[in-house]
Amino acid sequence: MNDHRAANTVVWVHGDGLSPTNPALIAFPDAPAIFVFDDMLLHAYQLSLKRIVFLYECLLELPVDIRRGDVFDHLIAFARENDATRLVTTLSPAPRFRQLVEQLSVEIVVTVLDVPSLVDYDGQPDLRRFSRYWRDVQHAALKPTAPDGTDEFVR
Amino acid sequence: MTPAVGKERALNADGSSLRRDFADRSELIAYVRARFPEAADVSEHIAETRGGRRAALRRLEQVEPPRYAQTRNHLNGSVTHLSPYLRHGCLTLAEVRDAALNAASDPREAVTLIRELAWRDYFQRVYAEIGDGVWNDREPSHTGVGEEAYSDEVPEDVTQAGTGLACMDAFSSQLTETGYLHNHARLWMAAYLIHWRRVRWQAGARWFLSHLLDGDPASNNLSWQWVAGTFSQKPYVFNRENLEHFSGGEYCARCALSEDGCPFAATVEDLQGILFPDAPGDRFS
Repeated sequence: MNDHRAANTVVWVHGDGLSPTNPALIAFPDAPAIFVFDDMLLHAYQLSLKRIVFLYECLLELPVDIRRGDVFDHLIAFARENDATRLVTTLSPAPRFRQLVEQLSVEIVVTVLDVPSLVDYDGQPDLRRFSRYWRDVQHAALKPTAPDGTDEFVR
Repeated sequence: MTPAVGKERALNADGSSLRRDFADRSELIAYVRARFPEAADVSEHIAETRGGRRAALRRLEQVEPPRYAQTRNHLNGSVTHLSPYLRHGCLTLAEVRDAALNAASDPREAVTLIRELAWRDYFQRVYAEIGDGVWNDREPSHTGVGEEAYSDEVPEDVTQAGTGLACMDAFSSQLTETGYLHNHARLWMAAYLIHWRRVRWQAGARWFLSHLLDGDPASNNLSWQWVAGTFSQKPYVFNRENLEHFSGGEYCARCALSEDGCPFAATVEDLQGILFPDAPGDRFS
């Protein structure tokens, strides 16, 4: 990432990236950032109070505007409040994330940054069973991260 | 509780931003309870475990890969307690791997821990591939038990820690009060619910997701499926000897059903015969 111009950018931090080292926060340190408690997920997973408090404590270490409600609506409103034309976030495997990115992309340019992976594996490991996966990736998994291995690129 | 990074931002115009300024933890908890009343209705307990990367880094310093490898299956073993932080990205798997390699005098000492980290990576990759499919059986269980035998609810005596089984009642209380269960206790509890109580694994998985600080549909659901036998060669079954050994005997020693009525007091083979009488052939032998 060489483009650090934050003037037109907002950062969306979601529940898989609650760290000051979140690649989107690092790449755009001056961009306004937001986290939204997703009413749909709160309801679907019946999250108990202790889980919300834990998440909240994570958020208080991050430079984010904390909101609650419909994620899509809040992200679009936040982008408009900040005159942003681009929203930057980090990858998540959650289907809800994929769905939101799809919806958001209709309204705004969405950039999804990769996150550091446990294994730098060239190709697709066999996912049918853990034993097969481990046979494929163990060599890469047991290697320490390369000093220059920031693993940061734009999808 | 001032933010470690960045600058405070003023509330936005319509006031929909949530507060960030709290004098202490009790003020934060009171605020969250007021703003998330339905979460308090699910359970009002607060975990001692603190959220955030700073807490995560303090935990990370305490990781001892050789002791982890030797003791991790014991309830009082030297486990890392890093899972809530990994689940929410306060730490990355790569960071923990690197720390484990640094803490080990020989890289071989860290292999067991890194292999467990890889389970999370594996489940995340499967999740990326199948998405909401983590809520459906990955494959048939081969237990010979019909779908209609299973209930859609976790029984109240289990959620209220009133089964009379000292082990399961303790695990239930620990789950709802602390948001944490040792991995082995998760497997025992899941097996008890699915195989002994005939509860659909999805109902148990939902109960865990409500409470576990590290709950995510990938690791959680796919582990429940592993126990159910819908994502493994055979269902996971334990017996009393196994539970007693890895719990240091603490539950059996004070269990009212210890002498008479323990449903786990048999060989695993005999239990499989009792639990899955209609399993095809020598499926689990």
